[in-house]
Amino acid sequence: MPPLEKPQLQNKPFKLRKSFATRRQEVAGIRAKFPNKIPVIIERFDREKFLPPLDKTKFLVPHELSMTQFITIIRNRMALLPTQAFYLLVNNSGLSSMSLTMAQVYKDHQDEDGFLYMTYASQEMFGR
Amino acid sequence: MQEELVENRRQQQQQQQPMERQGSFGLRPPQTPDPGREAVGEPDEIDKLKAKLMSAWNNVKYGWTVKSKTSFNKMSPVSVLGHSYLLNSEDEVERFRLAFVSRVWLTYRREFPPMEGSTWTTDCGWGCMLRSGQMLLAQGLLVHLMPRDWAWPDAQQLTDVDFEVFRPNSPARAGGVPIPSFGSPRGSNTPVKSLPSDQVPKSSQKKRPECARDRQAETVHHGLVTWFGDQPLAPFGVHQLVEIGKSSGKKAGDWYGPSIVAHILRKAVAKTCVVQNLALYVAQDCTVYKEDVARLCDPSLCQTPPDPSSETWKSVIILVPVRLGGEALNPSYIECVKNILKLECCIGIIGGKPKHSLYFVGFQDEQLLYLDPHYCQPVVDVTQINFSLESFHCSSPKKMPFTRMDPSCTIGFYAKNKKDFESLCSAVNVALSSTQEKYPIFTFVEGQSQDYGLEGHSSIHSGPAALILPPGKLGQSNNRRHSDEFVFL
Repeated sequence: MPPLEKPQLQNKPFKLRKSFATRRQEVAGIRAKFPNKIPVIIERFDREKFLPPLDKTKFLVPHELSMTQFITIIRNRMALLPTQAFYLLVNNSGLSSMSLTMAQVYKDHQDEDGFLYMTYASQEMFGR
Repeated sequence: MQEELVENRRQQQQQQQPMERQGSFGLRPPQTPDPGREAVGEPDEIDKLKAKLMSAWNNVKYGWTVKSKTSFNKMSPVSVLGHSYLLNSEDEVERFRLAFVSRVWLTYRREFPPMEGSTWTTDCGWGCMLRSGQMLLAQGLLVHLMPRDWAWPDAQQLTDVDFEVFRPNSPARAGGVPIPSFGSPRGSNTPVKSLPSDQVPKSSQKKRPECARDRQAETVHHGLVTWFGDQPLAPFGVHQLVEIGKSSGKKAGDWYGPSIVAHILRKAVAKTCVVQNLALYVAQDCTVYKEDVARLCDPSLCQTPPDPSSETWKSVIILVPVRLGGEALNPSYIECVKNILKLECCIGIIGGKPKHSLYFVGFQDEQLLYLDPHYCQPVVDVTQINFSLESFHCSSPKKMPFTRMDPSCTIGFYAKNKKDFESLCSAVNVALSSTQEKYPIFTFVEGQSQDYGLEGHSSIHSGPAALILPPGKLGQSNNRRHSDEFVFL
């Protein structure tokens, strides 16, 4: 059995793990080094039961990548079937149009700290 | 005691069922009993007993009808699958009744033949999403096969409803005088047209619709319901759907989601030959690829070169699984859901309250109108000629607030032909643009899904599954260190 205290830290959302100042600094640093990449945080919906967890949360994504391509990359990395439900929610609430580029989504939805936050989730099950 | 309860209620409710079997919980699977198995297969027996107790409990739980009344505001329109009714006149209430009661209602059933590979003889307590999916497909088939604006001539009278005037500024109902009867000016529900002489009116169904009884339509209606029968061979029965779901890792007794059910329905339609000239398309990642729909509807397009002279275009049911929020429904999508339900091409939405599946067919004000599968009825033997259709239609419309809608759902549409599909795309696009969110909940795009893939994009080959954390290793410190680095795409 792995020790229990570390998963606690790991499971905390990125925003709670790091202070605003740290996050902002991180974005400034990476944007200076890679001006044509977008810093994206991808986390699993906290009540997700079916999709596997990712071991990385921070992604640097090219501006021109479309949402469809982005989702396909994440799907491939999770080895999901095309028919398996997979949704990326921007700021944990809204779906994003698949035809948009990452730059457009970033422009509309980037956080104050400079990251773009996305949550992935499948669908709920019903039976009662 | 439970058995008595169920038994009694069943006799009260369903005296017309020809297939009543006594001792419902003592049903044995049809295998030949093997006395030598008893000792070895003990855990198996315990499981069977557990399953029996569970289904006994569920039969009781879902057997009761809760007689709560649903109030309808007479002052604001109620929408049912693209039609709108203002319930302040008898005619409109009548049209609403026919629109609601004519929808096919599929509920939990008990005492059906065991599911293959299991001892389940009921879907009470687990199959509600499959039932909602069946209702959605049944609606698609009604639109596909029945005359436009068909209504069931034997539709029951509405039960457990109130029509009231709601004061506009107050959420509480005011002047709540129920208007129980609109009937007085027209006398005692006199039919407008007389019945064909060979029809014997049933006493429970006094009122006839304003069209002559269409024999052919009724034959099709009966036939359509048999496809959803609770027996292994019915092409859209739960037995088939569970069987198809096995390839997605589901089995009898599991809970299902609106997206999985959409794909199960797609496979069921592709597999059967009972329905002619119909295709079913399921959107991928909230995107309807129009060229993929075209290729599904017109197989000649897949030939090289495409044959433009071909005029064969199948009708199509389009299902779009979505997730309209994280924990709860994102309220800015409510307007959009309303606008979709107002469209004539919409065949409803399967979703529900959290964990509790419902089939949404319309709305009034801030409430969704639905058909509820959570009612456990005894199985009806649909192989009998002239089996009763009464338990396949619901006479009591129910409503629930939009705010309680679970964000996971699948939206359904139907297009009769190519032209219909084009107008569907533009009508749905208008409805979708009504969201207060920046982006629509799904989109139509030209071309095929493969055109939008990752051809030429380098990161596709960077090794799948590399980023998945092996289960149970969340806390390992070396993983922890690397997880703080950026991944380059």
